[in-house]
Amino acid sequence: MANIQMQQLKKNFGDIPVIKGIDLDIKDREFICFLGPSGCGKSTLLRLMAGLEEISSGEFLIDNKRMNDVPASLRGISMVFQSYALYPHLTVRQNLAFGLKIQKLPSDEINNRIREVARTLQLSELLDRKPKILSGGQRQRVAIGRAIVRRPKVFLLDEPLSNLDATLRVSMRVELARLHEELQATIVYVTHDQVEAMTLATRVVVMKDGAIQQFASPLELLHRPANIFVAEFIGTPKINLFKVEVQECGPQSITVTHALFSNPITVSIAKEIKFAAGTKLTLGIRPHRLSTKQSLDCTISAKVTIVERLGTESLLYTDLGLETLVICSAAGTVPIIRGDQITLGFSSANCLLFDDHDQAIERCLPADVQLLIS
Amino acid sequence: MNNSLTSRAKKLFINVLMLVISCMWLIPIWMMMIYATHPDNVIFSGELVFNPGTDFLKNFAILQGKQDFSMAIFNSVIIAGVSTLLGLLVASMAGYALARFAFRGRNTLFALIIFILAVPSAAIVIPEYIIVVKHMGLSNNYAGVILPYLANAVGVFFMRQSFLNLPAETLEAAYLDGASEWKIFYSIALPIVRPALASLGIILFVAHWNDYLWPMLVMTSEQYQTAPIALGRLIGLANIEWGAMMVGASLMTVPFLLLFLILQKQIIAGITSGATK
Amino acid sequence: MLRNRYTPYAFLSPYIIIFSVFWLVPILFSFAMSFMNTRSRTWQFDFFLNWGRLLEDELLWQALKNTFLIIALQVPAMLMLAVFAAVLLNSKDLNFKGLHRFAIFAPIVVAEAAYAVIFRLLFNDNFGFVNNMLALINIDAIAWTNSSSGATALIAIGLTWRWTGYNAIIILAGLQNIPKDLYEASELEGTSPWQQFTKITLPLLKPAILLCLVLSTFGTLQLFTEPTLLTEGGPGGSTTTVAMYMYSQGFKSFNFGYGSAIAYLIVFLGLTLSLLQFKLFGGKPDE
Ligand SMILES: Nc1ncnc2c1ncn2[C@@H]1O[C@H](COP(=O)(O)OP(=O)(O)OP(=O)(O)O)[C@@H](O)[C@H]1O
Ligand SMILES: [Mg+2]
Repeated sequence: MANIQMQQLKKNFGDIPVIKGIDLDIKDREFICFLGPSGCGKSTLLRLMAGLEEISSGEFLIDNKRMNDVPASLRGISMVFQSYALYPHLTVRQNLAFGLKIQKLPSDEINNRIREVARTLQLSELLDRKPKILSGGQRQRVAIGRAIVRRPKVFLLDEPLSNLDATLRVSMRVELARLHEELQATIVYVTHDQVEAMTLATRVVVMKDGAIQQFASPLELLHRPANIFVAEFIGTPKINLFKVEVQECGPQSITVTHALFSNPITVSIAKEIKFAAGTKLTLGIRPHRLSTKQSLDCTISAKVTIVERLGTESLLYTDLGLETLVICSAAGTVPIIRGDQITLGFSSANCLLFDDHDQAIERCLPADVQLLIS
Repeated sequence: MNNSLTSRAKKLFINVLMLVISCMWLIPIWMMMIYATHPDNVIFSGELVFNPGTDFLKNFAILQGKQDFSMAIFNSVIIAGVSTLLGLLVASMAGYALARFAFRGRNTLFALIIFILAVPSAAIVIPEYIIVVKHMGLSNNYAGVILPYLANAVGVFFMRQSFLNLPAETLEAAYLDGASEWKIFYSIALPIVRPALASLGIILFVAHWNDYLWPMLVMTSEQYQTAPIALGRLIGLANIEWGAMMVGASLMTVPFLLLFLILQKQIIAGITSGATK
Repeated sequence: MLRNRYTPYAFLSPYIIIFSVFWLVPILFSFAMSFMNTRSRTWQFDFFLNWGRLLEDELLWQALKNTFLIIALQVPAMLMLAVFAAVLLNSKDLNFKGLHRFAIFAPIVVAEAAYAVIFRLLFNDNFGFVNNMLALINIDAIAWTNSSSGATALIAIGLTWRWTGYNAIIILAGLQNIPKDLYEASELEGTSPWQQFTKITLPLLKPAILLCLVLSTFGTLQLFTEPTLLTEGGPGGSTTTVAMYMYSQGFKSFNFGYGSAIAYLIVFLGLTLSLLQFKLFGGKPDE
């Protein structure tokens, strides 16, 4: 039961700023994911929350109490590490009991808690084994158990699933979602796997270079990315981007052109914004919104260079002489092969526009998209 | 055909050669035990004996009459035991600090320790003697022998290496569990490096057990002498009792040979990691 | 972790205290003493007394000569034997490895004092086991303790027995670190076993052998227990080592200042020799 606030939180290692002023407001019982490329500071931010690193400046509050100088063990948090970090010389039971004994809890209380956690995580059979002989999934459950048994207000998890194989990862993901329901605790979860973030999180913090790019629900990230970085980072396959030129700028729409487009395209916008004709903008269109069958508001003709058949969908890569290949997602059995000349159609409702500073221009959502914001 | 013949010849050659070397290496130990069980006139006669005799206890009685050897063994056990246990503690604490903390002066201190590794202990025996015996008055005192042993640069180096290999996250987990620095050290870090402690412990014990010069300088009275000193004093007597001396040598050697049989792996690990890292 | 600034010093304090009192102070103290006349009633600085005497002291030069003779004779022979033993112990053709390993390695746990008295008995000129065995094959008794060459040889043999195993352990570890596929690859190219040894094994063992060389040189430079108990430095001072001479200056003549100067000479020689050895034999194994 805890809400978390950060105000202008900063961290330097020596002279190097790694966390550059984070403002964040996390509500009670949220499941928050920190998502971002390697080295962007996700782990560092989590370790600042845990009390493993010293905060350089800014405020960090849990339940409105300033935590900057509170020792880690008194913050009401517990943490699950990527490497599990189990105590190798202690049995599973002793691993679970270690922190409780330091808190000097009575031994029946300790035993009760261990029994309860063991039941929740199916560890009862393993209690007297040492970590060395456990499988990766079992170790992971013990590590989670060790976090749960302390009954923290906030759980911090640093890439807890990245050491597991693909199948186990999926089942642990489901288990984590169940645990979140059951524990009713606030969870902060670091990952660089966007599927984990999109499936587990109530809201996602997308980070780059120690700063927040966007803090929003998964669907919002997908449909209303705040900038080009988020648009490219979220969603697979990657969004297609075109450097377009403003032809005309109306109060509710912007008309842009591109040499490869069959005709200028008019995109409606939610808020009026003025661009001079000739301004360079970026237009994004997701591969699923490109169609090979219909010629919609606009078309591009292209030659297929690679076809990737993934089963339920086929990815068509076309070389238009741009920096990257343009990708179109088509049906799994689409009868197109390498070398075919095709026409890609798209509708203006599905276009995303970004200004000359890579920031999103607020758009009207297409009719088929609901963000399910509560 | 030819090939298998040469390879069989090679195999035979290797085995015979190694057998000869091994026998030569075992002879001193074997003959020590043999002579310990024969009266001295057998030794003086120049007769070659290879089988055990029956005079072990007689020789032991002679030995005990010349020098209180049981007391010497006792002193050796106390000195080697206490210096090993305390030395392990001191070295692991220092090694832990050097490996797991960033603090001012760390590199200087480590460089100093490396430098000390290169200073032969024989080189400081004179000032050490003046400090311990003259100024501290610790002659014929266990502490006088033990204290200088405790600042063991090899031990610090070795333990630092072991603690460097500990995963940081395991120690951080204990920290988040609310453990104090000391608790993290003795109930998480130390148990994890137990194999290294065992290796270092054996090496230290053997080295302290065997040391000759330093205990000889500090323990001048017979009551406090260690086993090697007692042996050395027997050599100095006008009439050398060879059988008795071999009993003494056996008593201080055979337990270690058995120990070596059991703990060969740890001893070798201690020598190679101390030497190669 | 958020840590108290003083915690590391708390962990270090036992070591630092003991280290300062029993190492640092003695080293500095010893250096100071080496510039003092310690035989006058009150010790006085006399800058060149001890260091000057080092140059003129015939007995010291004799002890140095003895020590270097042992180093020059014994260390290379022992290292060759150690490499040889390690290669044999590592051979897949060798049976009863555990037994052989025990035989070669076991001396490392035997006290210097213990093996010195054993060797003194076995190599006794008149009734020793070794001379008795030599008599069996009609070789005249060797004066192990009554001739300077015999006494030097005796100490060298003793040291070799005690330390070959120790060095073989280090070399064996080096051998086991050499990737197997190097040999397999060279076998495909038709390299003979001897070429394999000289072209692959020895070069890759160089760091291990160099380490053994430095350690052995350092150790022998401090040689004290064996000559004291085996030959008592004799006959005629021919096996008196520098360390023994330092001991007799320090603790028999109670000339602490001169003893300290000799101690510094030992340190200086040790460092110079090991630097020299690194220069001569060091460098990358693939050079
Ligand atoms: N103790 C430290 N000292 C100096 N720099 C550090 C330290 N810890 C992290 N950094 C640097 O801070 C930056 C952020 O590191 P961090 O571990 O938080 O990244 P991350 O987002 O978790 O990446 P990954 O996905 O690879 O785990 C990196 O550039 C890293 O090199
Ligand atoms: Mg990370």
